[in-house]
Amino acid sequence: MENITKIKSLFANSWVQGAIPTGLLVLLIVIVELASPGFLTGETLALLLSNTAVLFILATGVTFVILIGGIDLSIQAVASLASVILAQLLPSMGFAAFPVAILSGLGFGLLSGIVHVRLRVPSFVATLATGGVVAGIALWIANGRAITIEEAGRVNTIWINETVVGVPVVVLLAIAVGLISFLILRYTRFGRYSFAVGAGESAAYAAGINVDRTKVIAFAISGTLAAIAGVILASRLSSGSPSLANQLLLPAIAAVIVGGTAITGGLGGVGRTAVGALIISIVRIGMTFVGVNIFAENVIFGAVLIGAVAITIDRSKIAIIK
Amino acid sequence: MQSFLTRLTSGKRLRKWRAFAPLAVLVVLCIIITIANPNFIEPRNLIRVANSAAVPLTLAMGMTFIILLGSIDLSVEGAMSVAAMVVVLLAANDSNAHNYGWLAVLAAIAASTMIGLLSGVLQTVLRIPSFMTTLGVWFIGLGLSVYMLGGSAVRLMDESIRGLALTRFLSLPLAVWVALAAFTLAIIIQYYTRFGRHVLALGGGEDIAEFSGVNPRRVRIYAFGLAGFFFGVAGVLAAAQLGQSNATIADGRLFAAVTAVVVGGTALTGGEGGVLNTLVGVLIVTILANGMILLGISPYIQQTVQGLMIIAAVALSLDRLNLKIVK
Repeated sequence: MENITKIKSLFANSWVQGAIPTGLLVLLIVIVELASPGFLTGETLALLLSNTAVLFILATGVTFVILIGGIDLSIQAVASLASVILAQLLPSMGFAAFPVAILSGLGFGLLSGIVHVRLRVPSFVATLATGGVVAGIALWIANGRAITIEEAGRVNTIWINETVVGVPVVVLLAIAVGLISFLILRYTRFGRYSFAVGAGESAAYAAGINVDRTKVIAFAISGTLAAIAGVILASRLSSGSPSLANQLLLPAIAAVIVGGTAITGGLGGVGRTAVGALIISIVRIGMTFVGVNIFAENVIFGAVLIGAVAITIDRSKIAIIK
Repeated sequence: MQSFLTRLTSGKRLRKWRAFAPLAVLVVLCIIITIANPNFIEPRNLIRVANSAAVPLTLAMGMTFIILLGSIDLSVEGAMSVAAMVVVLLAANDSNAHNYGWLAVLAAIAASTMIGLLSGVLQTVLRIPSFMTTLGVWFIGLGLSVYMLGGSAVRLMDESIRGLALTRFLSLPLAVWVALAAFTLAIIIQYYTRFGRHVLALGGGEDIAEFSGVNPRRVRIYAFGLAGFFFGVAGVLAAAQLGQSNATIADGRLFAAVTAVVVGGTALTGGEGGVLNTLVGVLIVTILANGMILLGISPYIQQTVQGLMIIAAVALSLDRLNLKIVK
């Protein structure tokens, strides 16, 4: 019994919580390297990182929202909408389709945030609702079909699939997003406010922080990054579809939680999410490697999500767990 | 804006009025659609409405108890697709040689109930919020059913189970009668059992209920099990209606269920509303969808309208405005 409490207090230490995911990642890399030497070099490594990039960008957006103690269940819809807008507008608008698609994400992120703080709707319901709104709009714009980006439009998306000095552009984009997000969280007032709001909303409020504004900005960032992820996904697949990113909601949230950001907010960051996203990607590759059916992946991710939440959650913060 | 909302929704008289708002919306909706397109009121169309309300009504019965607790169950689509998968694979089908007939239906409902109980046990034992637990369980269920179906569609060949959708009694398909039975069962549970009272009490204030001797963990686990039961019945109905089970059989169902419960006037904070509200909510959602088709509006916009309805309904329920911290 005493041992159990010891283990529990060990887990409760935030430093240890931050180190576990990194240790897990290193362990996974070692296992993959042992199982198939040379797997993590050259082309396969580039492919692994490119595949992680979109997931990481999505997860980074959710990280902002989870840090303030909320959740965003609309990211997959926003990403899909952005892909549809991009595919639809590329032929007529050319490169300008990119900012339009990304701004749609900003708009719906703002909408989620405003609905959440103004109307005092819990974030999971607010984003479930805006996610439905967005999914309907995406279906309507695309007429329920996938839109292929034709040769004429592909001129503008080709740069995303290229490499710079051997590093895929997608990976560079992800690194840029990660760095900027890291700097925002660490060195801006909004970043510090986010941690304060997540750590204790009433205390943050009493300290004079504009809690509502901080929350709305977090949701706006989440929407924008989701749209960026959707645009990149569409460019890579040369197609936009209203269900393009539907399979990414769970891995994205799982990446954030597995990385060690607490669902209760106030603890975590973009670096942890990067580790989490890599873990998810390697586990996914490992599963196909070991021979786990691709359809069963969701079962494992679902279980991993529940387990990771159970470990990272700060129960002292919720009086009644509903 | 906030003060206007408060003024609009405060006061005892208005509070009473608010309870009837969903019903008023339903009546006005029917009148508007009938004026715009008289075909709406034809018996053939009304039967169609009843038929398409069957699955959402059954689902929403389960969801009502969860929302009354102040929790949420996001695993609707997972539980439902597992039930549909089990019934199709165990009854006569075009993928394997099983032919257990109605035992398959029982097995499907049992499987879904187990998934509900799993959600309940996981969240009470691990002490994590229901939306995270059920988000995980949603994908566990979905992954399981897609895996078992091998990623393809399997046809249901059992004629008697198909009869749920095809056989008619008093000119309504059996599925509608099953949904009405589920509704009656939910009414009995909510208004005439101790468990129903306990759910309301927990939703109204968990600490007070616990002091009064309610076991919150047990009630919560039972409630999620009960929800799983209703989702299972709905999964069987959906499989019978579609004549097959595939990966997308439950797509959009979570959304419809939550919309119906919330639009019916059950508060997300728990403890307020109930099964009767949900019946009105389901009718609003289904009739609106039907009306949009009659009026020639793109069906793709339906989710958008439902999303806006959730936001509007939640925004108009006054008790939220007093809450300090909303996460």
